[in-house]
Amino acid sequence: MSVPALAISHLRKVYRGGTVAVEDISLTIPEGEFFGFLGPNGAGKSTTIHCITGIAEPTGGRIEIFGIDAVKDYREARRLVGLCPQEFNVDPFATPYQIVDWMGGYFGMTAAQRKPRLDMLMERFELGPHRKKQFRELSGGLKRRVVLARALVHDPKLIILDEPTAGVDVELRRVLWRYLAEINRDGKTILLTSHYLEEVERLCRRIAIVDKGRVAREGSKDEMAGGPGGLEQAYLVATGAEPDHVAD
Amino acid sequence: MTGSTLTKMGVNWIGLYTLVRREMTRMMRVPIQAFIAPWISALLFIFIFGFVVGGRISEIGGHRYLEFVLPGIVMMNVVNAAFLQSSSSIYFSRFIRFIEETLVAPLSYAEMIAGGLSVVVLRAVFTGIGILLMGVAFGATQVQSWPLFLFWVVSVSAVFGLLGIIVGLWSKSFEQLNMPVVFFLTPLSMVGGVFNTVQMLPDWLRWLAWANPFFYFINGLRGAMIGFDETPPGLGEGLTLLLLVVLGGTVWRLYAKGYGLRE
Repeated sequence: MSVPALAISHLRKVYRGGTVAVEDISLTIPEGEFFGFLGPNGAGKSTTIHCITGIAEPTGGRIEIFGIDAVKDYREARRLVGLCPQEFNVDPFATPYQIVDWMGGYFGMTAAQRKPRLDMLMERFELGPHRKKQFRELSGGLKRRVVLARALVHDPKLIILDEPTAGVDVELRRVLWRYLAEINRDGKTILLTSHYLEEVERLCRRIAIVDKGRVAREGSKDEMAGGPGGLEQAYLVATGAEPDHVAD
Repeated sequence: MTGSTLTKMGVNWIGLYTLVRREMTRMMRVPIQAFIAPWISALLFIFIFGFVVGGRISEIGGHRYLEFVLPGIVMMNVVNAAFLQSSSSIYFSRFIRFIEETLVAPLSYAEMIAGGLSVVVLRAVFTGIGILLMGVAFGATQVQSWPLFLFWVVSVSAVFGLLGIIVGLWSKSFEQLNMPVVFFLTPLSMVGGVFNTVQMLPDWLRWLAWANPFFYFINGLRGAMIGFDETPPGLGEGLTLLLLVVLGGTVWRLYAKGYGLRE
């Protein structure tokens, strides 16, 4: 059996103020999977992602990325991951080209390696005409493209997308869906969080629903969406929504 | 990039160089704040204390008053440049959250610290050299020992760069960020022997100079520039290196714990 792309075992995260963001999450995502990670706001999705990528320090549990401990061997583990965060954590005065180029540099890519990769990403996400503008001058959709390009610059094996299509128009959403499906076909493992259930249903083959810091339900898309009411009902039941909130 | 480690001796050199490039770019966005402001401030000090006031003061230790105060003016600006560069860089990157770019990257704590500090030292050295050139214009610049001059500028800027990182990590508001400058850096540098020797102070006040680290920095640089040194040989250098080790260790520990960086 091959090493999973991501293996989380009994992850727990308690913030300094005592807030328990993640109670106990265990997940295993095989290489090449397109995995949907759903849950209401405050369920612990982003905190889990932050623990995987090094933005947050896990309080307990173990995270392995392609078999590498994400805490002890964090440098080796991080080489394999690309993160597109929910918020724009970007120097607002930098240009899209600088932002993506610097990230490539942090990951040890030489200038000769970065140049063709940046040219491809700028073209792919239609950032060419905006490459010299300051990030703060860009529209919401363009900003989202920049952080996506930044996540992909070092060609990571595991791509983590935290609500990547939040606030973007339908056109870009579809461009993005096509691109994600394509790189997943090429072998990239993708972990996607989204509040758009249709997006998850369209892209993901396996889904976990988290609620109150725990995995409330996990299964294949067919299991989740195949029942009456589809994925939405499965989601509402798993997260303990009131019966009158359940779709007719 | 997956599979292309590109590290030698375990150091991500390209990552480190990229950090330096990014910080240089950020610094060069505000050239007036970074360089022109300290140079104008130094020019005013040179003019007022060197000419207006200095013209009425007899020589100190065989040196013109302007020659005597110039090392102190250089050091004050080196300290300010170093502290402001590192504290504002760390605080701003935390405030805007783009510090997360480096947290998710395969960079070690030492690389993150070294990347920021390199630009701190560059800014401080450039600021100091600019003031030296002004001194040349006023016929007051001497550097008796370039190695010692560089030792003092580089080591003191590293000390205040590290201190700036600690303050930048600790601060939760812009007001907190400015507190050390208002309450410690400016007062201590002013009474640290920029304008006077220890001998000129009343006996009961001399302990204050000996207890003030700025005194050793200014005195050390003055020794390198005009050969006027009031401390036993090696004392200032030893104290500065000790400070560097202590502050370097503290900053590394804070990074390793994720203080102010990680959630």
